[in-house]
Amino acid sequence: MRRFLVLQLARFGDLVQTRRLVKTLTYAAGAADAVHLVVDHSLVGLARWLYPGVAVHGLAAHGAPGRERQAAEQAVLAGRDVLADLAALDFAVVYCLNFSPLGMAIAAMFPPEIQRGYRMTAGQTDKDALLRLVFRLARDRRGAGLNLADIWAHLAEAPVSADTVNPPAAPGGGGLGLALAGRVARRSLPPEVLAPLVRTLFRATGGKRLVLVGTADQAPAARALLRRLDPDVARACRDLTGKTSLVGLADALTGLDALLTPDTGAMHLAAALGVPVVGLFLSSAWCHETGPYGPGHRIWQAVTDCAPCLEAAACPQGLACLAPFADPVLPRLLAGSTKVAPPAGLVGYVTGCDALGTVCRPVVGQDPTLAGRTALRAVVARRLGLTVPGEPALEPGLVQGLTVESDWMLPPPGRAADGEW
Amino acid sequence: MDTPRGLRILVVLPLYGGSLPVGRSCAAALAELGQVVEVFEAPEFFGAFTALKTLRVTSDRLEYLENSFLQVVSQAVAAKVETFAPDLVLALAQAPLSRQVLKRLRRDGVATAMWFVEDFRLFTYWEAFAPYYDLFAVIQQEPLLEKLAAIGQPNGVYLPMAADPMVHRPLELTPVEVKRYGAPVSFMGAGYPNRRLAFRELADFDLGIFGSDWDGDAVLAPRVRLSGRRVTTEETVRIFNAAQVNLNLHSSVSAEAPVVPGDFVNPRTFELAMCGAFQLVDRRTLLPELFADEELAKFSSLPELRERLAYFLAHPEARAAFAQKARARALAEHTYTRRMETLLRFAAERLPGWPSRPRGEAALAGLPENLAGEVGQLLERLSLPADVAFDDLIWAVRARQGELTPLETSLLFLDEWRKQYGPRA
Repeated sequence: MRRFLVLQLARFGDLVQTRRLVKTLTYAAGAADAVHLVVDHSLVGLARWLYPGVAVHGLAAHGAPGRERQAAEQAVLAGRDVLADLAALDFAVVYCLNFSPLGMAIAAMFPPEIQRGYRMTAGQTDKDALLRLVFRLARDRRGAGLNLADIWAHLAEAPVSADTVNPPAAPGGGGLGLALAGRVARRSLPPEVLAPLVRTLFRATGGKRLVLVGTADQAPAARALLRRLDPDVARACRDLTGKTSLVGLADALTGLDALLTPDTGAMHLAAALGVPVVGLFLSSAWCHETGPYGPGHRIWQAVTDCAPCLEAAACPQGLACLAPFADPVLPRLLAGSTKVAPPAGLVGYVTGCDALGTVCRPVVGQDPTLAGRTALRAVVARRLGLTVPGEPALEPGLVQGLTVESDWMLPPPGRAADGEW
Repeated sequence: MDTPRGLRILVVLPLYGGSLPVGRSCAAALAELGQVVEVFEAPEFFGAFTALKTLRVTSDRLEYLENSFLQVVSQAVAAKVETFAPDLVLALAQAPLSRQVLKRLRRDGVATAMWFVEDFRLFTYWEAFAPYYDLFAVIQQEPLLEKLAAIGQPNGVYLPMAADPMVHRPLELTPVEVKRYGAPVSFMGAGYPNRRLAFRELADFDLGIFGSDWDGDAVLAPRVRLSGRRVTTEETVRIFNAAQVNLNLHSSVSAEAPVVPGDFVNPRTFELAMCGAFQLVDRRTLLPELFADEELAKFSSLPELRERLAYFLAHPEARAAFAQKARARALAEHTYTRRMETLLRFAAERLPGWPSRPRGEAALAGLPENLAGEVGQLLERLSLPADVAFDDLIWAVRARQGELTPLETSLLFLDEWRKQYGPRA
């Protein structure tokens, strides 16, 4: 039996987005327990729930705010036993998914020839050719269009088909869910902008139930929103902010008709459960990179000239990308009207799947990035040896720009150094 | 059309990898054809390249350094071209020739050719580099040739793989070698997913697996020989010669099916044939024009492989007949010498005015009779044609390893004297 190790030390959303890779490896190994997954302690429960049968290992990989230094470091060092267990296993491939020294430090425990993704050998960090390409693409995020889940999946050979990763998005009859905010406040709508959208979707989903989800930090935002909702909507609301574990969150999301959400971990979890997502993407969030996985989800993406911006930099544009979400036309569009033009700077997408993975296809508004993204996906698909229907002609300038000399002058990845056909 | 002779050809090898032995075989074949061959030994730079990996710097900086290093190596090729003034630069897949240097060579009127011995579907960077070469030889046909034309490379040419009869040859093995390298059914190659899938189904045959990357497979582990280490070319030839049946299953990164349809024919097919070793090879669309049905035994599926394997193990005379015919065909048509002839004729046909370098005075012209005889023998030793130009002879003498003979030194002295005092051709 071939064993695989996946090092996923990032956050909740990233863990869910690892699903295509984990499914691929489970399929390749022929058994879920041949796949080992390392996550932060806080995510062990969710990882076991998400990936039944997979051997999940927890480490103290995230910060421990408020904890006394010595105790925190002892917790980190307690991971030594986990590392010893992993070292004793004979892995065929080790996937390090995060551009983080933590993951790469663990990867260094294994021979260089079995490391994929981000890697470290003899203290030198490096990354696979695909990730080098992704980094080059990231210089122009607006033109880029690869879902993070697909990037990770394509580190493995022959990823499972994108449309088999998550259940089909379908209303479950459980009403509307609302995820309050992601980790970055600027990527979320303020209550006054959010309220009309919630009101519209509440009615569109039958006016049965509204479930608010989020962390304890988001409870004040939940209360502020509730104050702005109609009494009948507020009465139908169950505020679970700060009241669920991650597995409890999954229970709360199960069976909803839709989840209205910015780019959050809850969004990825909803997609994994087959709950239709209505995603609100603005600021540094770019649905082509981190949109909900699988077909049938809807996204409203700000495409103002400055989007997507840098998460770490202050906004010099007065949050221009927020304005289209406050436009009174948007609730009508959410309600399904086809008679109104979308606000400038906003595009509505529906997710689908192609040879590469999940793709956001514009259905409302003018998408200024579509042509570039389509061309780029064709180049990347070709690089990955995927068959693209119709074999689109490649744009020579794009091909030249995305190629560096080391791509051409070194044997293909995975090829034995002495060559093999 | 006759094959041009007396050309100066610079063969640019890759830093490492499977096209490296192919490049060396090309250089030997070109010399055999009477060309003056210079080899750019990129593998000499490989140690420095790998040293970058031990710097312990950020991965972004490492990538920058790697690309910069490759640019320097590429500049070294350009410098070599400047000095050697070749009629043709022949690069093998992964040769360190940057687009910047290729542009410069084109500007300077130096003809360049690439033999891209890769699967174009898997290794797609040709799309960015092919237009910068004057000739682009490939191991696949359509749709690749059409695609090359579409991106601005009108001189694509199909040049299948080959084998070197000096390397891959029939051997009389000692009993010890037979024990070490022999198996009734033998496979030599890396453990690609489709091969793992296929060989698990051959448990009832006495299969010996040679080569690397077979770790982690409990079913196949007892079959793996020589501890699964990499084997040298010399050992490979012994393995081929020692087997009753050599399996030749083209590789695939997909584990979906054991036998995956494909077009190009791998080097192992030619090498086994050249060894006079019997092989069972999976059918490829380009195989029939290279070997006839009576020359190679083929299969298209796992059941057919099992059935043919059982038959041939029981019929040694049938194996011998196939092997003999395959070797005869390989010797006649599938040597690197034949491939280089094809490439040079293609160059002469497609490149207007090529070769453009004026031929200098013949080396033997004007030499005293007694010296001409000795120089003639020297030409034979250096595999140079009798009408080789004096300058080309001098280049070949300079490239000789070790101490020079008095005759060679005299010729170098004469060259230097002519440069200082004499009229030159």
